[in-house]
Amino acid sequence: MNEASSTRVRRRGFLKLVTAVPVAGALAALASPLLRLLKPNVPKFDLLRPTAPDTARGEAIVAASLSELRNPWDFKYFVFTQRYPQYTPQGFKTASVPGVAVRLPYKIRLPLDWAQAIGKEPPVRESDIIVFSRICPHLGCIYNYVPNYREVTAGYGGYVPPPQRQHALMACPCHLSIYDPADRDVPGRVLSGPAPRPPRTFLFEIRNAEIVVTDVEPGGIA
Amino acid sequence: MWERLRDWVRERREHLNLFDETLVARQDNPMYLLGPLLYYFWLITVVTGVVLMIWYEPTTAGAYTSIERIQREVPLGWLIRGLHKYAADGVILTIILRIYRMYFLGEYKKPGELSWMLGFLGLILAMISGITGYLLIWNQRAFWAAKTVLTVPVYFDELPVIGRMGFGSMIAYIFLGGPAIGQATITRFYAIHFGISLVLLILIEVFFQRTRRKRINMSLLPIVLFLAMLVVISYILPAESGRRADPTRTPLPILSDWYFLALYQYVKYTPPLWAGLGPGLLIGYGMLVPFLDRSKGRRPLERPFFFVVGVMALLYFLAFTTLILFNIAVIEREPFIIMNLTAVILVLAFLWELRYRRRQRTAAPPPAPAAGGAAGH
Ligand code: FES
Repeated sequence: MNEASSTRVRRRGFLKLVTAVPVAGALAALASPLLRLLKPNVPKFDLLRPTAPDTARGEAIVAASLSELRNPWDFKYFVFTQRYPQYTPQGFKTASVPGVAVRLPYKIRLPLDWAQAIGKEPPVRESDIIVFSRICPHLGCIYNYVPNYREVTAGYGGYVPPPQRQHALMACPCHLSIYDPADRDVPGRVLSGPAPRPPRTFLFEIRNAEIVVTDVEPGGIA
Repeated sequence: MWERLRDWVRERREHLNLFDETLVARQDNPMYLLGPLLYYFWLITVVTGVVLMIWYEPTTAGAYTSIERIQREVPLGWLIRGLHKYAADGVILTIILRIYRMYFLGEYKKPGELSWMLGFLGLILAMISGITGYLLIWNQRAFWAAKTVLTVPVYFDELPVIGRMGFGSMIAYIFLGGPAIGQATITRFYAIHFGISLVLLILIEVFFQRTRRKRINMSLLPIVLFLAMLVVISYILPAESGRRADPTRTPLPILSDWYFLALYQYVKYTPPLWAGLGPGLLIGYGMLVPFLDRSKGRRPLERPFFFVVGVMALLYFLAFTTLILFNIAVIEREPFIIMNLTAVILVLAFLWELRYRRRQRTAAPPPAPAAGGAAGH
């Protein structure tokens, strides 16, 4: 009697296993397309590999004309459009990257080392014009160019710049990161706040007295 | 091992007390009205939410306008929307208060572990539901809150080993449905917002069907009273819609819903990786408290360390909320002070705990009076 019941139990266990394996397999098979549905750029059956970054293509546009940035600290906002490959009816998705072009009072070496990684050679390496992405490298808000540094002290968390930095600054309303666009060593240096790095920069060239931006440093969510 | 786990779960499940439904005897104490109240507010939120779905349009172009129309043109639309918003606030408030009650009264101790963990999970889900819900309004606050929240996981990719898998960006991408907030984000948030509440409600209903417990263990009076209160609040303080989202302009100052304010101030103070890890650790602590706290007593002063941690959490919540409301943060100075202060207090609390335990051990023979005496310090 005892033996019989124990075999029965074993048989039940076996049957359970026989059913469980295909069910689990089917579930796993279902999970893959589901994840691919949520994030289309994951390659098939390759869910555990690092996801391929969604490489964007941008369209060159005129950010500002030189006459608009005649004097030191002049600036101009613009919006750069990026297209990402996507499984949408259009086959792509667009994201806008707001930017700011700034005229500095002196020439600096532009931080364009990232260009090699995307296979481009920066046309301008040293300039008194610098073009930043306005997407805050902290958590992605759009930060502001603040021509009067006192405004930074009043509205952006009480940062008082030391005398040599008392000029136009860039400040983010979200978590009060403050950047110096004109720092000679690290343009866009973080002066205060939680931002981990300076804002990303644009590649640009001068065509017919116009500043044409062609590419933006990859990374961050637009 | 497996058997033990199953026994553990079975025992806890028998003592599961999600909405304080077994504590009938304490109905006169408002702190024990929180459970049924939680369920009641939740029900109101779900019902009004389903009604709102009739008029709401989940598109980037139409969302804000449809909310305005609900507020202005739809007959009693303002009331439905007000009830939805304030009942949802009520849900969060009652969960928070209830969690604090359970914490300070040691209700998470055996056999309450599972109840506590489910309650805590409920708070997290309610907050997720809250943040996905307010993107749907498609106003400035919503837009920027969603944007910053979804950039936080990206920084997880900086973690040593696990970071290389790129799961952080993947989480962000899955919620955003693309490289930026757009139509896909609204659609996904809509689904999540609606899914969390409704699916949970169905699960809870199944649970109550099977255990035949009472869900709302209150008399009629509070039921009517709280509904009237919600109606009055929605009348005098109509749910606001703010300004339409503008992806090119960040407002200054920017404020989120009240239960995220403290977190917001915290994010100002810390490097971005910690903005994600800090709350994660807090959640981890919350979920594991029942297993970390091995002390015998249930009253607050019988476990000094955990008591101090709880009080500090409460104080920081209030202090940070106040700071952000007045837009105060001197970022070069404050994190340093706060960290040191926290460290010192934690060490002191730990010493207090050690001393308390030593005393208890030496005064072991007559346990009851000694415990009371030591707790007085
Ligand atoms: S997003 Fe700019 S400081 Fe946080």
